[in-house]
Amino acid sequence: MRPLVRWALVAAAAVALVTFPYWSAPWESTRFATTLLRDALVLAIFALSLDLLVGRAGMPSLGHAAFFGAGAYAAGIAGQRLATDQLPITLGAAALVAALLALVIGVLVVRSEGIFFLMLTLALAQIVFAIAFQWTAVTGGSNGLSGVGRPMLATLDFSSPDLMYVLVAITFVAAAFLVWGLARSPYGRALIGVRENERRMRALGYDTARLRLSAFVLAGTIAGIAGALSAYSTRFVSAQDAGLGNSVRAFVTVLVGGAGTLGGPIAGSALVSVIERVVPSLLPVELRISEAILGLVFIAFVLFARQGMVGLGRQTWLRVRSR
Amino acid sequence: MIETRELRRAFGGVVALDGVSLKVPEGERRAIIGPNGAGKTTLINVLAGEISPTGGAVRLAGRDITRLRSWQRARLGLAHVYQRTELFSPLSSRENVALAVAARRGPYRLFRAPPRSEYAAADAMLERVGLAGRESVVVRALSHGERRQLELAVALAQNPRVLLLDEPTAGMSPVETARITELVAGLDRALTIVIVEHDMDVVFRLADRVTVLHEGRVIAEGTAADVRGDALVHDVYLGKAVTVA
Repeated sequence: MRPLVRWALVAAAAVALVTFPYWSAPWESTRFATTLLRDALVLAIFALSLDLLVGRAGMPSLGHAAFFGAGAYAAGIAGQRLATDQLPITLGAAALVAALLALVIGVLVVRSEGIFFLMLTLALAQIVFAIAFQWTAVTGGSNGLSGVGRPMLATLDFSSPDLMYVLVAITFVAAAFLVWGLARSPYGRALIGVRENERRMRALGYDTARLRLSAFVLAGTIAGIAGALSAYSTRFVSAQDAGLGNSVRAFVTVLVGGAGTLGGPIAGSALVSVIERVVPSLLPVELRISEAILGLVFIAFVLFARQGMVGLGRQTWLRVRSR
Repeated sequence: MIETRELRRAFGGVVALDGVSLKVPEGERRAIIGPNGAGKTTLINVLAGEISPTGGAVRLAGRDITRLRSWQRARLGLAHVYQRTELFSPLSSRENVALAVAARRGPYRLFRAPPRSEYAAADAMLERVGLAGRESVVVRALSHGERRQLELAVALAQNPRVLLLDEPTAGMSPVETARITELVAGLDRALTIVIVEHDMDVVFRLADRVTVLHEGRVIAEGTAADVRGDALVHDVYLGKAVTVA
């Protein structure tokens, strides 16, 4: 009975999340909350994918935006060149391009570890960024790619803000379930084994290079899907989407929320979104520097709460219960 | 079952293995002894595929495995208990052993929790090494002796044909040493065991035959009784051990 109750609660929460624009309409006439939540969920999908590497497999990538950007460009360019807004085509293009890019970069990086892995992913992602920035004929270069179409599924048109939100929310729920399912499977446990003791995993008969590569490609593919959703949402792709700033943003989101947990990347994206979009409007104009605020929050977490928001929550819960 | 031919390994100018040939038939329990720096751990690591030799060959059940990586050798039935504990520290004893049990079916099983049978097999193995009741304890919370028992459980859970033990009793109390020794002694006689060990009581209790390494060469090989009586061995090793003790 109890697992049934838990499933019912999760299902209710998922439905409430997906239908947010419809029940929030009476008190949310400006749609600010819907837009904010939409972009937070895109960031959450991106952060969940990065956490597969950082938190589960112990692969600290500083180049994850390359796949986000690749997915965003692929969706936008495929839509414009093929003159279609059909979701299976543009989203499929995004997933495919991101997966192939992750395979190519992954082959080069998976045998390195720690700081070397970090620097290699950073350097290779910078190459992707440079291509996006310079190849004006295809990507729009420094002007970015504007006029990305909102997707359609057969005759269902996602161009209204509410339906666009619903598409993002459904994808988020699917991504969260995927990560949850992977984490509890033998595959997720094997990734933790690789993180904790790769040498021992090899001695047990696991091909750890292949395991790490599979995680890298999977995470890159999901990041590419997040990138496509970003392109549909904002109808624009910037080279910065593939840049270091965006990689760092995802990394900070994961660490602030709590790496290696399902709730961490999600909580982190909520906090980062609020810092980026809500906090500045509450401050005097001279202090509206969300990067600096985010930086300070990040430093505070690194110094005082290494386990992130999820870790803080757990500690508080244990303290309350032991009283 | 496992054999080496003219195995060589140099680290820079230091020659750790200088032409080691040995042949351990199926079911034999072979101890490798020798003073510190004789090349014992290097030999075990070359057998396991963690270090590649600079020359010579390793064969497992007649097959040349010299160029195979450690994970490929593991799949062919080689299990390795390290000198230093190598476990998955935030995971429980049960999860540690389950990772070894699951290795046979591979990691590409998504979305479903690991089958109960894997945990049952892990628990049975833990009971066999004397860790019943400690299944849910994380590695960090285990004592040194328990970690060594867990190491053995993880290696046995691979269901190996050849078990490589690198000082399984290192750092253990006499009681723990006796427990591990009896545990290894009671293993299936069909299992081939290569054991590096300093404790002569353990060696003479477990080994059918003994190979003595000195400066990367085999200087003696024979039954435990032969080696005990060998004058050269006394000079380079046993004699020293007695004077040290």
